[in-house]
Amino acid sequence: MSSEKPTMIEFKDVHKYYGDYHALRGITATIRAGEFFSLLGPSGCGKTTLLRTIAGFEGISSGVVLIDGKDMQNVPANVRPTNMVFQSYAIFPHMSVAENVGFGLRKDPRSKAEKAKAVEEALAMVGLKGYGGRAAHALSGGQRQRVALARALILKPKVLLLDEPLSALDKKMREHMQVELIRLQRQVGITFILVTHDQEEALVMSDRIAVMFEGEIAQLADPETLYRRPASRKVADFIGTMNFLPARVLSQSGDKVEVEAEGFGRLTLDAEQMTGAKTDAGPTIGFRPETLTILFDGQTASDRESPATVTEVVYYGDMTYYDIKLDGSDQPLRLSMRNVFGRPVLDIGTKTRVAWSPGALVLFR
Amino acid sequence: MKNPGLRVYAIGYLIFLYAPIILLPVFALNDSKVVSFPLTGFTFRWFQEMWADDSLREALTNSLIVAICASVIATALGLLAARASTRFTFPAKGGILGLIMLPLVLPEMIVAMSLLMVLLAVGVPLGKHTIIMGHVLICTPFAVAILSSAFQSLDKSLEEAAYDLGEGPISAFRLIILPLVTPGIVSSLLICFTISLDEFIIANFLGGNTKVLSAYIYGQFRFPAKVPAMLALGTILVLLSITLLSIAEYFRRRGIAKTGGKDTGGFL
Amino acid sequence: MENTSLFGRIRQSEAASGLLLVSPTAIYAILLLFAPLATVLVYSVMTDAGAGKIEWVFTLQNYVEVWTGKVYRAIMFRSLVVSMAVTLCTVLLAYPIAYFVSFHVAASKKSLWLFLITIPFWTSYVIRVFLWKVILGYNGVINSGLMSLGIISEPLQAINYNAGAMVMTLAHAYAPFAILPIFVALEKIDRSLLEAGQDLGETKLMTFWRVTLPLSMTGVIAAVLIVFIPTIGDYVTPDLIGGGKIPMIANMIEVKMLKQNEKAIGSAIAVTAMLIVALVSIVFLILNRRFLKGQK
Repeated sequence: MSSEKPTMIEFKDVHKYYGDYHALRGITATIRAGEFFSLLGPSGCGKTTLLRTIAGFEGISSGVVLIDGKDMQNVPANVRPTNMVFQSYAIFPHMSVAENVGFGLRKDPRSKAEKAKAVEEALAMVGLKGYGGRAAHALSGGQRQRVALARALILKPKVLLLDEPLSALDKKMREHMQVELIRLQRQVGITFILVTHDQEEALVMSDRIAVMFEGEIAQLADPETLYRRPASRKVADFIGTMNFLPARVLSQSGDKVEVEAEGFGRLTLDAEQMTGAKTDAGPTIGFRPETLTILFDGQTASDRESPATVTEVVYYGDMTYYDIKLDGSDQPLRLSMRNVFGRPVLDIGTKTRVAWSPGALVLFR
Repeated sequence: MKNPGLRVYAIGYLIFLYAPIILLPVFALNDSKVVSFPLTGFTFRWFQEMWADDSLREALTNSLIVAICASVIATALGLLAARASTRFTFPAKGGILGLIMLPLVLPEMIVAMSLLMVLLAVGVPLGKHTIIMGHVLICTPFAVAILSSAFQSLDKSLEEAAYDLGEGPISAFRLIILPLVTPGIVSSLLICFTISLDEFIIANFLGGNTKVLSAYIYGQFRFPAKVPAMLALGTILVLLSITLLSIAEYFRRRGIAKTGGKDTGGFL
Repeated sequence: MENTSLFGRIRQSEAASGLLLVSPTAIYAILLLFAPLATVLVYSVMTDAGAGKIEWVFTLQNYVEVWTGKVYRAIMFRSLVVSMAVTLCTVLLAYPIAYFVSFHVAASKKSLWLFLITIPFWTSYVIRVFLWKVILGYNGVINSGLMSLGIISEPLQAINYNAGAMVMTLAHAYAPFAILPIFVALEKIDRSLLEAGQDLGETKLMTFWRVTLPLSMTGVIAAVLIVFIPTIGDYVTPDLIGGGKIPMIANMIEVKMLKQNEKAIGSAIAVTAMLIVALVSIVFLILNRRFLKGQK
């Protein structure tokens, strides 16, 4: 499906130095035409720098950046086929909404009336129909963002760059704008590249995500792969919550791996469940909180089960988070259960059984 | 108010600040050559006498020429320095800017005398141009301070947004930066103008035989008979200053409103 | 390496653009400020040859004379005392005003108050100083006013043409300079700190003493410098208010350099004045740093 899409942006071994500081350390990646792509990582990981090398605001120290097959070396920002929504939105405060949106049309040969029509259409597209005459500094945060979107999209760029566009909004507005942005991207069909430090936002919105740490791409994958098969413990830790248990690889033959994990005993895993580079920490089993289920009276596991003790309970309304310890292990494990009417929330110290499945595990070498 | 004592003190302090200025029109309109109570009657004759004084008119013309030239040059120099300091990093930045701002912390007498020594040594004749030289020197730090804050309150991404939307460096400066710092430029011009108009030491020592307004007034105070006419002139100058300052304040606030910033108040 | 040279080029062009942009202003300051100050420094170690001529013979005699001569020392000491008294008065009088505007005036009216405070400062300095002479003079406004009201029968002599009158005049002239920096420092104080102070059991007065005052000290020190530096070099006030009988440093520089045409001695006085200013500034900047450190 998505692999059929042609390439829009290509990074080939891109490095960027600020003095002695190595901000981008050999980025090689491909972004496809028409996909919603996210650059995700903690602050200072180089995601914004990478975005700005696409826009043309940062030169690169070595390597190649191609947009739609063309080398962008020495192509200044004002002629690149990209437009940007800035983190601060950068709405020109001395202009009206319409003047802001129409700013990039100055050299456009079309007539005044046609340009005005284009501005109206762009405003309608972002849900700001009729706002053209308003003063820019009188807008709310959400409206400013929509103006910034309209201003960038009116130039029909091949790529729209979004630098943490939702970070300044409150939670409700942010969730609303996430859906808006997905809709808008489907409507215009161009490549969107989003920079964010919010893993949830990236998972919700993106076709594919590049997770970045310290100037390098740690994993580039679709959200589901990223969540279910993180390439390293670091990625797993950054995206959602993951439990870790020390393990020992007993034998490996063909596509099967024989492991012994604390609390789980002996297991046979598929080779494709094995991931990551070897670390000093040794092999580790990882699994998400929702892959463990507490078995209540009378319930039986469909796959495997182990005895455990509840050590902590956090009640969230729709969910309850439990910390448990498997018998024979001192490692506290996080477990999440959807609350069902009529089912009690367990107390600390309760002896119980948990169901799990070897297929949901990941083995970090 | 929570604290009436403090409020009374504040009002008392304002009276102290304004006392001499309130006396200006009182004695400028008093029909007596001696500035003392009791008041003897109402008259406009000091204003007429002032108006008829040719050397006063000449001093006023000189002052206006000096103040206009000094404020324009200082603002232009301030614009360059402020843009350089807020936008670029360059070697010896601290030292260069420190030197430009130095007149703020030097007693004016020392600025005036050292400049005078060099002018005399080089053999430059004294006149309006030498006063302008000195005034540009002391006005530039104010221009740099005002314009730096105007540039600083600009979000850097506004400029980048203009590039992103297809503009080059020059048109981005013209379309985005210049309109947004214009209020700063206007208030810099007005404040430099006011400083130059008011300045005495440099005007007195670097002017040679050319008298500007402040030096002229200073000279006239030696003749008691001229004092009431000078008070009449002072009254007009105070009104002029208040008008100019109100305009400057208006532009400063508009500048803040335009860039969507918060009003922190004050000129300095 | 290609990488670093490309990077170096970008950085160089950034530095070059910055230098190019700042150069007109910088060259102006070098020619008309730095060069003259350097000239004065050189003059101060040369020999006066009379009639305004400088003999290019190195000597420290000028400094010996300025630093040991009775008259010079008296004048410099007076300048220092007057400007310190002015600074003390101005800052002490200004603090409550800054405090009032920052803490007791509604946010929307703060600008108006600051505006009212700054207006008198922008009216002709020479005229303002002269007005104080008129107010405080022997037959001046206060004396004649009080006499016509019948409160006194003889003019008061204690108020005219003395150092006290000079202090009064200068304290008035530099009032806004002291108020603004203190106001800015007070504005920056997080109001919840004061509530915390009272929450922890201090009275309002003790909260002011233990929280507000230390936090506003940087503004006070800035105010001290801003008032002290121009007052020690003031020329108009000693001339008009003091009637030329109580000269300060600036008047002495004028007399030496222009009236007596002894440029070398005059330069030595000017350099000494700069040294005094620098010394006092450094002391206060060190105090300021200690206060800043205390805050961390």
